[in-house]
Amino acid sequence: MFKQKKKITDQTEQELIEMGKFYLINNKFDEAIIEFKKALEISPGNAEIYYNLGLVYETKNELDMAKKMYEKALSINPEYKIVKQHLDKIVGL
Amino acid sequence: MKKKQFIVIGLGTFGFNVAKNLSEKNVEVLAIDKNEARVNEIAPFVTKAVTADATNEKVLKTLGVSDFDIGIIAIGESLESSILATLLLKELGTKTIIVKSINALHSKIAIKVGADRVVYPELESAKKLVESLISPNILEEIELSPEYNIAEIIAPKKFVNKTLGDLNIRANYKLNVIALKHKIVYLTDTDETDIKTETNISPDANTEIMEGDILVVIGKYEDIKKLQEVV
Repeated sequence: MFKQKKKITDQTEQELIEMGKFYLINNKFDEAIIEFKKALEISPGNAEIYYNLGLVYETKNELDMAKKMYEKALSINPEYKIVKQHLDKIVGL
Repeated sequence: MKKKQFIVIGLGTFGFNVAKNLSEKNVEVLAIDKNEARVNEIAPFVTKAVTADATNEKVLKTLGVSDFDIGIIAIGESLESSILATLLLKELGTKTIIVKSINALHSKIAIKVGADRVVYPELESAKKLVESLISPNILEEIELSPEYNIAEIIAPKKFVNKTLGDLNIRANYKLNVIALKHKIVYLTDTDETDIKTETNISPDANTEIMEGDILVVIGKYEDIKKLQEVV
């Protein structure tokens, strides 16, 4: 019973991320943020969600927020290559 | 066509990076420093790296500095060595000489002894940093003349979803929009999201501004500042 519940939760998290990406690609930034934040409630330790939130803020040119999100993603997964590239670009390296 | 030839004298952080970046542009680079360890460090990147004293005329003659198109003197520690090296490159016939200045007085002397251009990275970086702190919406600014600049400005929120025609920036802000940069989020081959920037040069009146777009404008410094204050 417990296993089954966990599986449903995982799927929901992935669905939320996919929805967030869909909104992001279509320039619906506010909606994307809502989906990614819902996904974070289910899985606060998921670096991919922070990376995508970083992308939202970078696209909006809110670079301080983007930096915070990329840093959080890297604190979870220090080897996240694409995040490092985005952070270096923002910091100006 | 013959590749351009550069000589970089002094391989501190600045000189090292100039030499390395030049090499990446597929030009010939001769790098010189008195310090062997620094020479060994740059050697894998440049055409030729030599441990030598660039204030010694004989050494410079042997290296054939007269054949070089551009000489970059990036000696950071000694004013005297930098000036001597500038003078010698000029006398030996290097076509263009660029000097990294140590201080304001050095800039003046360098020009007097033959430098064609003086760069002062610390001062330039300081100015850029101050501008970025005072005007965070201005991402990049190039001075065309003391009065006119080209600047990259984050589109103010009130411009979003309006066309350049609606905004009539030329009449209302006395600025010309010469390009519009727009970030696009896309999916990579591995299904990861990423961003690329599309630049629309000479955008027409029907071009709509989206959230996060960057306007590249040309105009007077004070008009750019006024646009930067629009939210």
